[in-house]
Amino acid sequence: MKLRTLCLGLLIGATGIGCVAIVEHQLGTYSAQNLGKISQPAKHELGDDGLYGVGDYPTFEAGLAEGAGRAETQIYCSSCHTPRYITMQPPLPAATWDAEVQKMVKTFGATIPEADAQKIAQYLHEHYTPETRK
Amino acid sequence: MTESGLGRADKLSRRALLRTVGIAAGSLATAPAFNLFPASAQEKASTELPNFTGPGANPHWNSVGPIISEPQKAPLILLTDRPVQLETPRNYFASAFTPNEAFYVRWHLDRIPNAVDLKSWRLRIEGNVSSPQALSMGDLLRKFRAETIAAVNQCSGNSRNRLQPRVPGGQWGNGAMGNARWTGVKLRDLLNAAGMKSGSLQVQLQGLEQGEGPEGMGSRAFMKSLDLDNPVIDECVVAYAMNGEPLPMLNGFPVRLVVPGYFATYWMKCLTWIRVLDKADENFWMKTAYRIPDTPRGTTTPEAVKAGGVKTVPIGRLPVRSFLISPDGGGKIPAGMGVTLRGVAFSGFSRIAKVEISDDDLKTWKTAQLGEDFGAYSFRTWDLPWTPKTAGKYSIAVRATDEKGNGQLDEPVWNSGGYLWNKVERQEFVVGAAE
Repeated sequence: MKLRTLCLGLLIGATGIGCVAIVEHQLGTYSAQNLGKISQPAKHELGDDGLYGVGDYPTFEAGLAEGAGRAETQIYCSSCHTPRYITMQPPLPAATWDAEVQKMVKTFGATIPEADAQKIAQYLHEHYTPETRK
Repeated sequence: MTESGLGRADKLSRRALLRTVGIAAGSLATAPAFNLFPASAQEKASTELPNFTGPGANPHWNSVGPIISEPQKAPLILLTDRPVQLETPRNYFASAFTPNEAFYVRWHLDRIPNAVDLKSWRLRIEGNVSSPQALSMGDLLRKFRAETIAAVNQCSGNSRNRLQPRVPGGQWGNGAMGNARWTGVKLRDLLNAAGMKSGSLQVQLQGLEQGEGPEGMGSRAFMKSLDLDNPVIDECVVAYAMNGEPLPMLNGFPVRLVVPGYFATYWMKCLTWIRVLDKADENFWMKTAYRIPDTPRGTTTPEAVKAGGVKTVPIGRLPVRSFLISPDGGGKIPAGMGVTLRGVAFSGFSRIAKVEISDDDLKTWKTAQLGEDFGAYSFRTWDLPWTPKTAGKYSIAVRATDEKGNGQLDEPVWNSGGYLWNKVERQEFVVGAAE
């Protein structure tokens, strides 16, 4: 898997390319929003299509800690999911973070060069363990 | 509430007190009148939740994320936004049925449906069958008998943030659960329409959700399977309605599988492929994920896991749980005033038979009155009048027992997946002087 930007993800989602996509659905489109706004139910136009949609899902800044390795963490992790998967966690031991990075590479197939995977692990150690989390 | 929970609350009130004293002493000229009240009266308004909890257990009923608003949903607690994971706030569990707009959301992979075209969407029943089916929503509505069942949907990782030591994963509080009336077509009727051939072993479920990972990996496709000799197959419903309405997109429009009594991992959302298999499903989501130790209550220790050899099995039925929903402890109760304690209970094994409350640290128990019975797999509401006679701190514990005798223990659960938490819940109340 190549490192994908969110935009490419949107394109793939919108055009329905994919091994199992046999119908024209829209998958995985998101747009950045600020916290604090409450959405109201959207109105739907009457048409003769069979499309049932809800628009984009909102995304929010995850607030990763500043420091060396932040960019690599933000970019590689975001190819599959929001970095909020990191900030949501309780402080975890360094070994647990190492195992998580390895799981993303080995179990889930994330293509992260070894040097960058080490940078990400180091970044997680420096900001997200019981000793370092603020 | 845990020891650390008590400690934390005390610490917060000390901090709030210091702040109040500081303001009162340092800026008397501008200090507004409300600062004349003790800190305890202001605690709720002035104490902001942190962005995470730990390494101790989360002391709060819900998780601590921000409140956000997603399409077709009421404001819910955000765990993650891509893919979407949202927790239901506590107050929504005051009734037996959870509103669709408040029902929690949990997806695994980031390409989740924003839109589904019902002109081209078909529910496919394929694999080891004699006549594969491709059914439209109209077919499901008109050609099959409608079945309705009330059933609790609970995430395998609900309450994961109670575990000690904490485990990685979605850091759910207690709100990754909900109860709804599900209406749809019996899975058995669909399997019969397709005609299962001999040698059929499992039924595999896949929805529209896709991930960015490589072909053949769990990061590309989310699939779950059930054994065909499992009696639950005859209770499963492919639901097109939830509480009498179309499913919200985030809860699985157009149809999702309902597996009564089972954890939500099997309740496939946007269900599109039902595959009859003649050999056991070995995909990641069956072979590696969503497995529990093959021990009583599915509990083990980090040491045993590290040493290896903890045999695991796929997660299955919901252990008994019960919750006190209101009052939520956010206000003081005057001594001598009667309040009604209310909550819900459920079991994945059989009907709830009894809910009991203790206000003396589990020494004596009072039996609560049960609400309307909506079936074995539904939330059962309960209530019990309670009149604290004297001022002080009270800890109310709640436990339930089902008709098969399954109950709850006051002991923690631990496994590396963070599954199956069902320890007796407690709620603290402060009873104040009334004269």
